[in-house]
Amino acid sequence: MSSARGTPQRVRGTPQRVRGTPQRVRGTPQRVLAVWCPDWPPDAPDTGPEARAFEQVITAVEEFCPRVEVVRPGMCAIDARGPARYFGGEEALAGKITDAVAALGIACQAGIADGLFAAQLAARVPAGAGGAEARCGGSGDRPRQKVIDPRIHHLTGRAVAWAGAPGVIVAPGRTPGFLAPYPVSVLDIPGFVDLLPRLGIWTLGDFARLPAAEAANRFGAPGERAHRLARGLDPRPLTPRQPSADLSVQIEFDPPAGQSEPVVFAAKALAGRMHAGLAARGLACVRVQVQATYEDGQDLTRLWRHDGLLSALAVAERVRWQLDSWRAGQDARGGGPGTGDRAEASLVGGITRLRMIPDQLVRDEGHQLGLWGDAVISDRVARAAIRVQAMLGHEAVLRPVLAGGRDPAEQVTLAPFGDSRAPLLPGGRPWPGRIPAPAPATVYPVPRPALVTDDSGTAVGVTGRAVVSAPPVLLSADGGPWLAVTAWAGPWPVTERWWDAAGGRRRARFQLVTEDGNGWLAAVQDGQWLIEASYD
Amino acid sequence: MLNGIGDYAGRVPGSRATASSGSPAGGCVIPGTGQLPDGALCGPDVLSGSDALPVLPALRELLPGGLPRGSVVATGSWSLLCLVLAASASVAGGWCAIAGVPDLGVAAAADAGLDPGRLLLIADPGEGWPQVAASLLDGCELVLLRPPARPSAQVRRRLEAVARRHGSVLVVVGDWDGAQCRLTIARREWTGIEAGHGRLRARLAQVVADGRGAAGRSRARWLWLPGPDGAVAVAAAGAGGPVAGGLDAGWDGETGEAIPAWRGMSAG
Repeated sequence: MSSARGTPQRVRGTPQRVRGTPQRVRGTPQRVLAVWCPDWPPDAPDTGPEARAFEQVITAVEEFCPRVEVVRPGMCAIDARGPARYFGGEEALAGKITDAVAALGIACQAGIADGLFAAQLAARVPAGAGGAEARCGGSGDRPRQKVIDPRIHHLTGRAVAWAGAPGVIVAPGRTPGFLAPYPVSVLDIPGFVDLLPRLGIWTLGDFARLPAAEAANRFGAPGERAHRLARGLDPRPLTPRQPSADLSVQIEFDPPAGQSEPVVFAAKALAGRMHAGLAARGLACVRVQVQATYEDGQDLTRLWRHDGLLSALAVAERVRWQLDSWRAGQDARGGGPGTGDRAEASLVGGITRLRMIPDQLVRDEGHQLGLWGDAVISDRVARAAIRVQAMLGHEAVLRPVLAGGRDPAEQVTLAPFGDSRAPLLPGGRPWPGRIPAPAPATVYPVPRPALVTDDSGTAVGVTGRAVVSAPPVLLSADGGPWLAVTAWAGPWPVTERWWDAAGGRRRARFQLVTEDGNGWLAAVQDGQWLIEASYD
Repeated sequence: MLNGIGDYAGRVPGSRATASSGSPAGGCVIPGTGQLPDGALCGPDVLSGSDALPVLPALRELLPGGLPRGSVVATGSWSLLCLVLAASASVAGGWCAIAGVPDLGVAAAADAGLDPGRLLLIADPGEGWPQVAASLLDGCELVLLRPPARPSAQVRRRLEAVARRHGSVLVVVGDWDGAQCRLTIARREWTGIEAGHGRLRARLAQVVADGRGAAGRSRARWLWLPGPDGAVAVAAAGAGGPVAGGLDAGWDGETGEAIPAWRGMSAG
């Protein structure tokens, strides 16, 4: 049982791993190997098919260590100590893992450090900025922070192309020094990291030099957490007492559930029970282990980062991810082309038991709700939304968040019910060139093609200097009937992100009114008329 | 819970519409809570009992009793009018669900008075849309539904029964036999845009309400739908005489309503 080689703190938090664990010196740092795939941006949604595509990376890493912790799509971590001994050193392990992931055609970097936070940063040190040199240093005595200057990485990191170098390996005990030059913004604690530079604290090293008690006194719980991270420790001390009760929850399926949908539905209730059990003891879990047992006795186990932040719905969505990915793996391994559709519809064998085990218990500090503006969801609404989600899927019930942006379609970010999501583009900013009020009542998520002609029947065009070739007379939206244009205005040229070859675009916008009294928001892009929205 | 919702604490349902209609007895709502502070402020007719959802001030004359709970309201086709009706849920501080409208303009809905923080969107209710609508009617005060297919009489009766049982209002985009009330846009005219200049600033629309029983008499009103700021307001009957432009005669023979002089409006 390789997972029993955790630190003493972790062992205390997880009673099922106490048996047979040798006594270790208190404070032995945990060696964590983080695997980072830059193809998944950090602000990408953490559910959905793109996120689940990360599964192939997890499967590749699982070949080296069965307990893979998924931090978010694009980042996963393993306890490096056991595998490193087996595979001949940390450097060899990191190299083997990056080679295995690269063999899938996915860019990947790996880093090893004491603790998950430092390991994530170590994995993201770009190649060619001292990383390779540091790796060559092996287990030498040279202090690594002299070789790696993360301040440089931070500024130039995005510009450095990935070149296959597996991040850096920070020697045991050197993590505080490795972290010290990083700017405090890497802590990613909203509201808090803005404050520190104003107080003259720019780097993690500056912050770590403050007395821990003073940091907690001045900045409260987030400050205490940040201070522990800056010193290279776990963000929250694990709860020192052993929980008296077994906090894991499980549900049996009899007869076995052949479809994943009822399992996911039950997982919502199960996660709710687990959260209630934890909350009753004032605890939160850092990770949750989800274990699905199949009819043939096979177990499917995965660890998910929780941090006390996941709602019951979000946990259930991860269960769906876990079951779907297992099925996809079965199809790829065993199934021929003929089994594809049937396997899509039902799980092989069926699930007899679903179990959730909270892992690494910590003190729950709670979350303060905003005084104004947070709509309180009543039980009645939540019940209805969950029932519809059970029928149509988690992503089918959405809540809108108004955002910034120029296009009408950009100005709304949709979040599945039960998840919280920040707007993709910040609101409350001027956004020059945005569509003025009133807003259109119909906004097409994908603009519809249209044809606009002048009185001679030729298509209306717009020159590079935003001059319209002839007044528009007839409009046909998406193959519909020709409508006479009674009034029109434009063109209003919009050039967005001209520095970005992939994301940049030029459009000339028009507003048109047709004979049926309808208003249209149209645009010409690359000579093609598009209907973006309609003022129904 | 959701970032950005806080921005709308000041943009509460009803308050902007009130400002543009200039009526002192507008539907005042405490920011952030969506609660009505005092029945007297909101007009005696709409809050005489809790058996109706109060409507936006602009629709008071068309729907003097509000939207009776358990009723079905039909709207001829998809338009901003549907969103204005859906905003009735936000006036009362309740939740609204919109099903079957994948291309909804949420910004327009928010401007019309619908609270986006209390809104559920189901873009595609799929084949089982009657079950989805029934579940939503259980949870939300108001459900705006665009049925993917023409509903059978059995489905209609079932959803009407569900709405009655839970005291919620079903607003249907399209036709619905047996609807208690039916609101349609008879005529509409955009202002602020000409041939080659200006921009869409506001729209004058004649909204006609028909109904059964007590609401039987047909009523028509001219509304700014939307007004220059996106909010909905009653278009004041102007003293400007005959109206130029695309509108017909200065008086509507059927309803005896004066058509407002939209030329005199300061756009923008």
